[in-house]
Amino acid sequence: MKNEIGKLYIELNEEFNFYAPIKDQGNLKFRKVLNPDDIVLDYYNTKIPPKEILFPEMEVLFEYKTDGKNVTEIIERKDLEYKNIIFGIRPCDAHSFTLLEYFFSYGDVKDEIFLKKRKNTLIMGIACNSPKSTCFCTSIEGHPFMKSDMDILLVDLGEKYLVEGISDKGKKLMARLKWLTDAKQQDVKIAEALSKKAEESFETKLDLKDIDKILDPNFEHPIWEEISDICIGCGTCSFLCPTCTCFDVLDQNNQYNNKGRRIRIWDTCQFSLYTLHTSGHNPRKSCIERCRNRILHKFCYYPENYDMLGCVGCGRCIQLCPVNNDLRSIIERINKIKSKKEEKVSA
Amino acid sequence: MSIETENKKIEEEMREVARNLLREKKVNVVIGYTKGTVPLSSTPIIITSENNVDKLIWNNLCYVNLAKYLVPRIPQLIDPEKGDLKVGIVSKGCVGRALVHLSVENQINLKNVKMIGIPCNGIINRKRIEKEIGEKEILELFTSDQDIVVKGKDFEAKYSYDEYINELCKVCKVKSPPKIVDFKDSCLGECQEVKSVDDNFTDVVEFESKATQDKWSYIKEALQSCTRCYACREACPMCYCNLCFVDQNKPIWFEKTTEISDILSFHLIRAMHLAGRCVACGACSSVCPVGIDLNLITRKLEKIVKERFDFISGIDSNKMPPMMDYNMNDREEFMLEE
Amino acid sequence: MPNPYIPKLTTVKDIISENKVNDIKTLELEFMKEEDYNRFEYIPGQFAEISLIGKGECPIGIASSPTEEGTVKFTIKKMGTVTSGFHNCEIGDTVGIRGPFGNGWPIEDMKGKNILVIGGGFAFSTLRSLVVYLLNEKHRRNYKKITVIYGNRDSGEVLYEDVLEEWKKRNDIDVVLTIDREEKGWKEKVGFVAPVVKEIGPSPGNTVAVVCGPPIMIKTTIAVLEELNFKDEQILNSLEMRMKCGIGKCGRCNIGNKYVCIDGPVFSLAELKKLPSEY
Repeated sequence: MKNEIGKLYIELNEEFNFYAPIKDQGNLKFRKVLNPDDIVLDYYNTKIPPKEILFPEMEVLFEYKTDGKNVTEIIERKDLEYKNIIFGIRPCDAHSFTLLEYFFSYGDVKDEIFLKKRKNTLIMGIACNSPKSTCFCTSIEGHPFMKSDMDILLVDLGEKYLVEGISDKGKKLMARLKWLTDAKQQDVKIAEALSKKAEESFETKLDLKDIDKILDPNFEHPIWEEISDICIGCGTCSFLCPTCTCFDVLDQNNQYNNKGRRIRIWDTCQFSLYTLHTSGHNPRKSCIERCRNRILHKFCYYPENYDMLGCVGCGRCIQLCPVNNDLRSIIERINKIKSKKEEKVSA
Repeated sequence: MSIETENKKIEEEMREVARNLLREKKVNVVIGYTKGTVPLSSTPIIITSENNVDKLIWNNLCYVNLAKYLVPRIPQLIDPEKGDLKVGIVSKGCVGRALVHLSVENQINLKNVKMIGIPCNGIINRKRIEKEIGEKEILELFTSDQDIVVKGKDFEAKYSYDEYINELCKVCKVKSPPKIVDFKDSCLGECQEVKSVDDNFTDVVEFESKATQDKWSYIKEALQSCTRCYACREACPMCYCNLCFVDQNKPIWFEKTTEISDILSFHLIRAMHLAGRCVACGACSSVCPVGIDLNLITRKLEKIVKERFDFISGIDSNKMPPMMDYNMNDREEFMLEE
Repeated sequence: MPNPYIPKLTTVKDIISENKVNDIKTLELEFMKEEDYNRFEYIPGQFAEISLIGKGECPIGIASSPTEEGTVKFTIKKMGTVTSGFHNCEIGDTVGIRGPFGNGWPIEDMKGKNILVIGGGFAFSTLRSLVVYLLNEKHRRNYKKITVIYGNRDSGEVLYEDVLEEWKKRNDIDVVLTIDREEKGWKEKVGFVAPVVKEIGPSPGNTVAVVCGPPIMIKTTIAVLEELNFKDEQILNSLEMRMKCGIGKCGRCNIGNKYVCIDGPVFSLAELKKLPSEY
């Protein structure tokens, strides 16, 4: 039942940090719930992606104490063991957590801060009955009712939710919620019909098959000058992207109290200082190179390194880019390079 | 006249000027706006051939200040052999003011710039409409008679045009670019003679009269959602410093975190750096992804500059901005003792 | 698993000024805890992120060889805020270390081959680590002929003069030093590195060439090596990029789909030619 969300919250709030979509200054974001009446579930998607729960905009790496000149002690974080539940997340954003996990565990040295928190996090998502006109998760092999990245999936049947445990963690949690009633066969059928309807309702369909094969040899193609001509080089697309993870590291010193901390904050390859060497040399000195790097990173390097596209199809960059540099038209223009190549071959 | 008829007229006249400029090769490129791919936007576009002039449009969602692309000049507007390309810019009043002010600050040469002046009839406050529509998806937005009509999958809403344009547009006094005495050839289309600007700053006076604690809480709450994406700084034509104060590290003046003290430092100091330079185009508020109204602060600074120095930016190409000049009669409460 | 962002603490044991204008110094660091030193196993060519906690962190190539036990050496040039902070350090100060990171020189693959080491200016620090390692009595017999060509702007810029003297005395390594212009009292070669390499004319047979230096030196030297018929797989480079985390997570050191901090900093010329030119 829809009005039982409060019951869910009360039961789980003791043990878990319960995150759900909440309106903050007119913007919908994932926040820790203090009052279950604040939870908004009649929505498309939040403005800021849920990556900020496990990878916040500003995060402490460690704290330290000094004797006025030198460091005497390094204090590690102890709050990484808290359990979290992310409730009301959409399948595209849930898929972003899978991608983030791959990224942070790539290589010999893994990002333990993120991975510890991820291990203690349960994802309880709600399927998309009506995707937005700018959503395109089906183009990246996703689905508005996709289950594989979720621990528990809810489907909105109108008056009530159909709740399905997907992973072992999810099934264990569901078993604890004794007040859930068994689903009827009819409910499952309604959910299947909704799934099919949602799948067919997508307005945006991008051709992303083998896009990494088109991008790889075309690094120096003149099309990048066209694609980036109106880009102003702000951080909106990266900060609102569920899979962008670049960060900067700063030391904050409190010299009066002889202590401080090292923090990391979100950064983006779109800023001009991102790759600036102290010598003054900048391998990406204009918007052309920086815009190109972002597209290549999502659609070429991700498939080459992890065998999956780095985009989840949420459409936030399309809606919120200040100059409306639409990703869909960028992909279209890149695909046109492919057909020009084929023309050359056949001629 | 209904708003769409006005817009159509502006569009046709603007296209004619652009067509002639390109045909007679007086400019190499024309920068203007084209239809956006999402309902509440328009897209800047750079065209090089008169065959593409029909892509240029004018509607009330053209919020980007196109002067931004000239300073620093994007590489697409520089020819490696010929140097700076000759540029035609579709200019509403604030874009024209920005170009004049940038020329006063010696950042552009107006000889190579042709302003295609248009009489702007206001920019819709897209962030306000988005917030009022809430979580529903807007699929269509257009003007009908004197209303803004917003349509979605299962809803339709009407907003009064005069009420829902940007606050800045409501009090705007320079709707088309000012004619510049020294660069008559650069002012094409609808440019106007601007001798002086009368502004009562009624929008600021109302907020000014609130109690200090209320004003402080309001501004703090409004700025709290800032994500430090710098869309406001990048969209502002006056923010062209090679190294912004916030990026400097010798020394680190202010930090780049999202703590409220750092956010306040960034926005308040950026507003200070815009004193006497801001042309009130509203691009900063229109592009903010979380919908912060930054113009409340910039308008206050505009009021102070007008009162103390009798100066409005971007009107007169021969008047020095007060922050770059001095006068023996300037007040110096902070420097000398009486 | 330990948190990779936590530095281990070390004490500055010694500070040596390496050049006449005093803007390049070598810091010798001693780990405070022995277990941290034992876990810091590195090979030549790797780097570590050293921090002045409170000021910042920067990636510096390890100048000492793992055969020089007890301490770790880093050669730092004064360029920005953090490196200037290191230059103001005193003996006894605390420095944080995270590492070792990077892939290092391929010392296993280089076994049984002639090694041609070409360095220019300040970039010689990881080459010092490599040569000391190769000359160590445990390893020397695994490698054939070793030649070192080291060029500098002037005689005041030559790093590691004490170590170079030792090498010149040995008969199992050829050392050629050169400076850009004639100087009173300079008895070695004169000229840029590339023409000196051409003059020496090393043969490419069974040889690995390791080239480190400023971009223009690398470009001209590689051109000479290609003239001498060196193949792309035989020429190794160590790249520099802006780094923050050193473990491939902050994203800024990427060239194409490779990260310089985990897939590099050592790349062969063959690998570099496949990557986009973004460095």
